[in-house]
Amino acid sequence: MSLRDELKVMKDGFRWGRRPIVPRSAEPFVEEAYDEGFPTDWARTRPGTALRHVILNAGMGPLARSQIALRTYGLEHLGDVEGPVIFFSNHASHLDATLIMISLPERWQKKTAVGAARDYFFDVWWRQAFTALVYGGFAIDRAKGGQGAIDKARELVRDGWSLVLFPEGTRSLDGHLQRFRHGASRLALELGVGVAPIAIVGAYQAMPKGKLWPRPGRPPVTMRFGEVLFPEEGETHQSLSLRMQKAVMELFDEDRTTWFEAVSRSARDETPSLAGPQGAPSWRRTWEGTRPVPRRGRPSIWK
Amino acid sequence: MPRPGFVLDVDERTPPLLVNQGEGFRMQKFPLGTRVIYPPDALPGVADVNAEIRSALLHPLGDSKPLPELLFAGMKLTIAIDDISIPLPPMKTPDIRQRILEHVIEMAARKGVDDVELIVATALHRRMTAREIRRMVGERVFRSFWPSRLSNFDAEDKEALTSFGTTDEGEEVEISRRAAESDLIVYVNINLVAMDGGHKSVAVGLAGYRSLRHHHNVHTMLHSRSYMDPREGHSAINDSVNRMGRKLAADGVKIFQIETTLNSETFPSNMGFLNKREWEWSVGDQALMMAAKQGNDMAPPRVRREFFRGIEAPYKVTGVNGGEVEAVHARTLENLHRQQLVEVQGQSDIGIFGIPYLGPYNVNSILNPILVHCLGLGYLFNMYRNKPIVKQGGVAILFHPVPWEFHQIHHPSYIDFFEEVLAETTDPATIETKFEERYATDPWYIHLYRTSHAYHGVHPFYMWYWGAHGRDHVNDVIFVGGEPKSVARLGYRRADSLRDALEMAKDTVGSSPSITYFHAPPIMIADVV
Repeated sequence: MSLRDELKVMKDGFRWGRRPIVPRSAEPFVEEAYDEGFPTDWARTRPGTALRHVILNAGMGPLARSQIALRTYGLEHLGDVEGPVIFFSNHASHLDATLIMISLPERWQKKTAVGAARDYFFDVWWRQAFTALVYGGFAIDRAKGGQGAIDKARELVRDGWSLVLFPEGTRSLDGHLQRFRHGASRLALELGVGVAPIAIVGAYQAMPKGKLWPRPGRPPVTMRFGEVLFPEEGETHQSLSLRMQKAVMELFDEDRTTWFEAVSRSARDETPSLAGPQGAPSWRRTWEGTRPVPRRGRPSIWK
Repeated sequence: MPRPGFVLDVDERTPPLLVNQGEGFRMQKFPLGTRVIYPPDALPGVADVNAEIRSALLHPLGDSKPLPELLFAGMKLTIAIDDISIPLPPMKTPDIRQRILEHVIEMAARKGVDDVELIVATALHRRMTAREIRRMVGERVFRSFWPSRLSNFDAEDKEALTSFGTTDEGEEVEISRRAAESDLIVYVNINLVAMDGGHKSVAVGLAGYRSLRHHHNVHTMLHSRSYMDPREGHSAINDSVNRMGRKLAADGVKIFQIETTLNSETFPSNMGFLNKREWEWSVGDQALMMAAKQGNDMAPPRVRREFFRGIEAPYKVTGVNGGEVEAVHARTLENLHRQQLVEVQGQSDIGIFGIPYLGPYNVNSILNPILVHCLGLGYLFNMYRNKPIVKQGGVAILFHPVPWEFHQIHHPSYIDFFEEVLAETTDPATIETKFEERYATDPWYIHLYRTSHAYHGVHPFYMWYWGAHGRDHVNDVIFVGGEPKSVARLGYRRADSLRDALEMAKDTVGSSPSITYFHAPPIMIADVV
């Protein structure tokens, strides 16, 4: 066989670039050797961070901004805050983590790690390396319930790293906000760190679940950073999660209308819910979720 | 936690699997539904080998005193050692035999034993070179005993053989005179496969042609099903050897048998992918495999040969036992089966075997076509208990290039056997009656056996008989990738690819045969139920 044919046999047989699969009759004998934690710490060393800085600011940043019309508001809320925080946002697109990382100011960006699903981002070696390098990613085991899933997160926060977590746990299918899991709030309570809300408006319209590249035409996406929430005396993780959810809702409201209206509505507890039409058939929910986001600013004179 | 061996069912998820073919290998995609037998994972070795050896010598099994009590000043002590045919590949130094010898000789020295002789139990195998012996016994033992008190056994030195008459079945028993006249024989064995060890060590290792022909013959081979299954009644050769060994014991030959078992860590870490199951290969393993394959295919033959010759196995010791022959051997077989036994349900129409580059008779040498036949239809085919993995009347497909190549110094009688005997007939029974006597008594071959490093004149015959049961059992033997002339001389057929071989096999087993691929090495025994 020629070298080319041999490589083809190997590529197809060993599923290069894809998730490895075990033959069915060998499944009972597979060792759980993969549970040794994922070596992502190399990406958080100084050279790793320096490389990430270059990739994000000279590569991903300009690339993302060329494909979507990004506007960022509210970074001043991070100005006074010291020490690590847990950034969280709504999650409807693969763009989310990228947008957060390229928008963060220098001092936050170099000390932030993104939590990524182990089964999705840490299956093949090159996806593992990419996630670790470009996002400072660490693995979250979605299959393990409760505390075990974010042991690594605890370790990182203790070392002074800020985290990016998505409390919904997975991307929304119809664009609406899903129920918040309590991992992030529990962590914040345990370690006494603040949680920084971010609302990402329009990412679902630009690149929903299932797409790997934004829609053509530079769809508009807005990011709004909110005030950092600090855990209060005697607060439970449920109440903190609720506060986190409300913060995101308020930021969406602010984006839709004005800041003052949003604050007023919040005081009256009238902030519109982001959960979408309840009890409606899924097509209606998707219909509402894909409502276009208005483009801001003057129309571009250059086409 | 070492996993047991198991039988894989090839499905659409299965990657191409590794198949050995001489000095090289290929990645072969097997048809869906093929069963592949995988050996168990390598067992961990004993933590303290020295302690294990001491325990074997001081706490013997069976009816035997501890070794120090059997040693006394003024005695005649003979230490016999397994030769270069074991283990395969050669073990990384220090060889376990070296370590055992050092313990035994130390004990002998402490007890004031002066008359000690070491014999390499070659029977009719070739003499080992000084370098090979030094590698096996270690520098200290070599310097102390070579060449006057450390030598290869000479089965053709008629003066140096002692006859013990015959067994109840008329089998002549004859061993080395030095050993027979000693107060004690200490045998240092490595039990690589189930056929080794036990009574075979002394009764065969130190025996001559007159004795060996009683079990190294076609009839015995055809009734050894298999010779890797030494249970009474399953292996005629083993039963014969046991009779001989018991005769020796009954006639007062004292043997302190020391047997060792090794785990199946056959390949060094720089070829670690050979020890792993294919779907567990990491990216690094796959890259290494591709590099090794390309390098191997492109390398000139001499470079390739030197590379393979230099492979040393990082074997770990799983057990050392000493004492009375049968008691020790029972324990040895337990250890061996723990490492090598794989349960297989039922037989198949087709059995596929990838023949590796090394067998017992071509260490530091060349695997000539006759040895390919021996390794494939002999050893690999017989690595079973109860039933072969192939049905009676099925097809055996073997992977090997079968080059028409012989080692002039090690295998001179093989060359003549191939040119003269096989050209006339390939039937083992005819070969035995017509040619064996002549080759066994030819003075030139005897001269080469005694003074050079040649296998005995009769040895190629034994190689042929070794595959007699396999030949008899299957209806067709097809070599994939074999050189047409050599394969034709062996009396088999050849194909360029597995697909063609399966097409050819249709004549015998039809168009949807059941197929089993025996994924060895590492060595294993298929326990077919």
